[in-house]
Amino acid sequence: MSVATPSPDTLKTGPDSTVEALRQRFEEKIVLEQATLTGWPVLWVARDTLTEVLAFLRDKSQAFEMLYDLSAIDERLRSHRRGLPVSDFTVFYHLLSVSRNRDIILKVALSEDDLALPSIVPLYPNANWYEREVWDMFGITFQGHPHLSRILMPPTWHGHPLRKDHHARATEFDPYTLTVEGQDREQQALKFDPEAWGMRRRHDDSEFMFLNLGPNHPSAHGAFRLVLQLDGEEIIDCVPDIGYHHRGAEKMAERQSWHSFIPYTDRIDYTGGVMNNLPYVLAVEKLAGITVTKRAETIRVMMAEMFRITSHLLFLGTYLQDLGAMTPVFFTFTDRQKGYEVIEAITGFRMHPAWYRIGGVAHDLPKGWEKLVKGFLDWMPKRLREYERAMMENAIVRERTRHIAAHDTTEALAWGITGPNLRATGLDFDLRKQRPYSGYENFDFEIPIGHNGDAFDRGQIRIEEMRQSLRIIQQCLDHMPAGDYKADHPLTTPPPRERMLQHIETLITHFLQVSWGPVLKPNESMQMIEATKGINSYYLTSDGNTMSYRTRIRTPSFPHLQHIPALMRGGFVPDLIAHLGSIDFVMADVDR
Amino acid sequence: MAYTLTRATDAIATEDSRYPLNEQRRVEDPVKQQIHRNVFTGKLEEVLHSAVNWGRKNSLWPYNFGLSCCYVEMTTAFTAPHDIARFGAEVIRASPRQADFMVIAGTCFLKMAPVIQQLYDQMLEPKWVISMGSCANSGGMYDIYSVVQGVDKFLPVDVYIPGCPPRPEAFLHGLQLLQDSIQEERRPLSWVVGDQGVYRAEMPSQREKHREQRIQATELRTPDSI
Ligand code: SF4
Repeated sequence: MSVATPSPDTLKTGPDSTVEALRQRFEEKIVLEQATLTGWPVLWVARDTLTEVLAFLRDKSQAFEMLYDLSAIDERLRSHRRGLPVSDFTVFYHLLSVSRNRDIILKVALSEDDLALPSIVPLYPNANWYEREVWDMFGITFQGHPHLSRILMPPTWHGHPLRKDHHARATEFDPYTLTVEGQDREQQALKFDPEAWGMRRRHDDSEFMFLNLGPNHPSAHGAFRLVLQLDGEEIIDCVPDIGYHHRGAEKMAERQSWHSFIPYTDRIDYTGGVMNNLPYVLAVEKLAGITVTKRAETIRVMMAEMFRITSHLLFLGTYLQDLGAMTPVFFTFTDRQKGYEVIEAITGFRMHPAWYRIGGVAHDLPKGWEKLVKGFLDWMPKRLREYERAMMENAIVRERTRHIAAHDTTEALAWGITGPNLRATGLDFDLRKQRPYSGYENFDFEIPIGHNGDAFDRGQIRIEEMRQSLRIIQQCLDHMPAGDYKADHPLTTPPPRERMLQHIETLITHFLQVSWGPVLKPNESMQMIEATKGINSYYLTSDGNTMSYRTRIRTPSFPHLQHIPALMRGGFVPDLIAHLGSIDFVMADVDR
Repeated sequence: MAYTLTRATDAIATEDSRYPLNEQRRVEDPVKQQIHRNVFTGKLEEVLHSAVNWGRKNSLWPYNFGLSCCYVEMTTAFTAPHDIARFGAEVIRASPRQADFMVIAGTCFLKMAPVIQQLYDQMLEPKWVISMGSCANSGGMYDIYSVVQGVDKFLPVDVYIPGCPPRPEAFLHGLQLLQDSIQEERRPLSWVVGDQGVYRAEMPSQREKHREQRIQATELRTPDSI
């Protein structure tokens, strides 16, 4: 491991040394520093210096090891952009420095008739898929990209969905029909063409086998396709093919009110439940200037951690099942059922409660919640011990996973790996500690880390994470603050019901807030959280409307899947299955 | 009871024929028609149908196929707390060729639709389809460019399960409804006996069946207590 573990103290405010350094080095090429609520410096840079600036930032002295996110925004219909450089389409690059625990966002303005940028794949390998996505969604080309093609939409698709002039609804055009001919055409288009990917069909005297793993395969955890180039059992190369689960969540955000988009967030990482609401409502609250009450914060943390546990339990069951153990899934799902009893009693639903609200949560904790939570806290520890004993100490599991698909911290950062998969390499980087949000700084818990960054550590670490989550929930139970479960703020949605019927003013506000939704001031904000699978964030752009102008959802599983080929080349098929099980991904968290 | 007759017309499918390919028609119960002709063979046929259907409905092998969130609740129904083995449907098959029914558990994506069709075609008769969750039923909350607004745009669906996601119990309920409908089916008893159409009974709508009882509920529990 070559990356030093950061300490929370490095996260200070005040003039940013990076910005100073950039200004000195690049002078007028740094066009502007934009004031936003993202919490990071946002710099507009000239297109011709982009690569140099990025190279400078990645360099030792600045140490931005990770390309955290890369996407674009169609600015053509945005009305509030006074003071910003002229731009039809803006591409942004979000860099993250783990060792210095700070971020920077770079923006490049593009004009409609010249939508091209240099590809930055040589600098950051994980830019590959992000650039393909920007091409797919916006039609912006990246010169020098190794394989610029559609990634989320089918190869036969026309148009770029995230452009403002592209329709959003399926019902806006003719109902879907599938004809015999259409079926053949689509199947042809899905056929893998090795030459297009620069792959050879044979070598010396043996012919390679090309095998489709997916789009429906029990080990692919959903609609995911991986094309393997095999020489016997050995994987020469592989090409992940995603987009089979693209539900257009980012486009959807552009036509839902700030409030009514909350249920869509639940379905991003669909095993994470309300954990998904958290970064979104926190980002909206930044835009609205709402500070939530201590009670609301603590309730949120408690429920988010409940979902971390149910999600990790699902992971554990399927991970071991992929390794051939049929029983664990029955045990872990029994525990999940126990967890859901608590979740359901509190939020009213199992998987997708959509329970957080702008400014708080949907309702207060029900009477008797303590007993339920306590029951769960008493039940889990002995089960976790059992899992460790029966599964992780099992010789077959160890043989199948130890030193399999291992990578070090430097590699992980270069590929944008976050969450438990990053910590398995021995790096202590958990946003709940490094950049506490929603009151995590008040809790006493530890961050488990691994050593080898292999499939075994990725499994082991999650069992330990569940223990820590139980500790957090215990503290919520012991010290649940009294008070309101909603903030007293005009933009809290829906406003407290008790006050609604007192006079006409509150009634009108209530009505507007619920029917049209709150109007948020034009600005940009962002919130990252340590979600179940890694860092999840929402980057919101408000144009002073009831709806978001652009919502960028950065999900952890996207880069995790992109990393597969680099890791699996030269490996064996059973190792790939073990690795797929250990990544812990759901396709909704990849394709959104 | 009214029946829907489906006849295999694959042979005459042209390039622009739309899925589902087979032609469907509403008819009377074919066994009842027989009765008018010969009481004895009519009775015999009825007994045979019900014996075969009894066997079919109690050993339904599901295809291990999931699309998104709903699939998690479907798997939950397979595990210990809900125990689908009680209904004889625990033999999950990873290959469509060995499976009896397919549950479209999740969103039907545009990019996935041709793949779903392919997998469905690979299943052998007799086969059934359950559409699980709002997305599969109608597109649900995703009226968006990349989502097919309901899997019945191209697959013949036998049972629709509402919910987003439906609870595991709802899935089990849907499975039982499928079993009920299988009990009433008339499939060829052999390739030389009778006409070769598939007759599916039109089962009563659950919404209408339970409406009376449901509207009796006037007081809903508040979320204040557990
Ligand atoms: S119906 Fe709901 S739970 Fe099911 S796949 Fe669709 S969004 Fe997910």
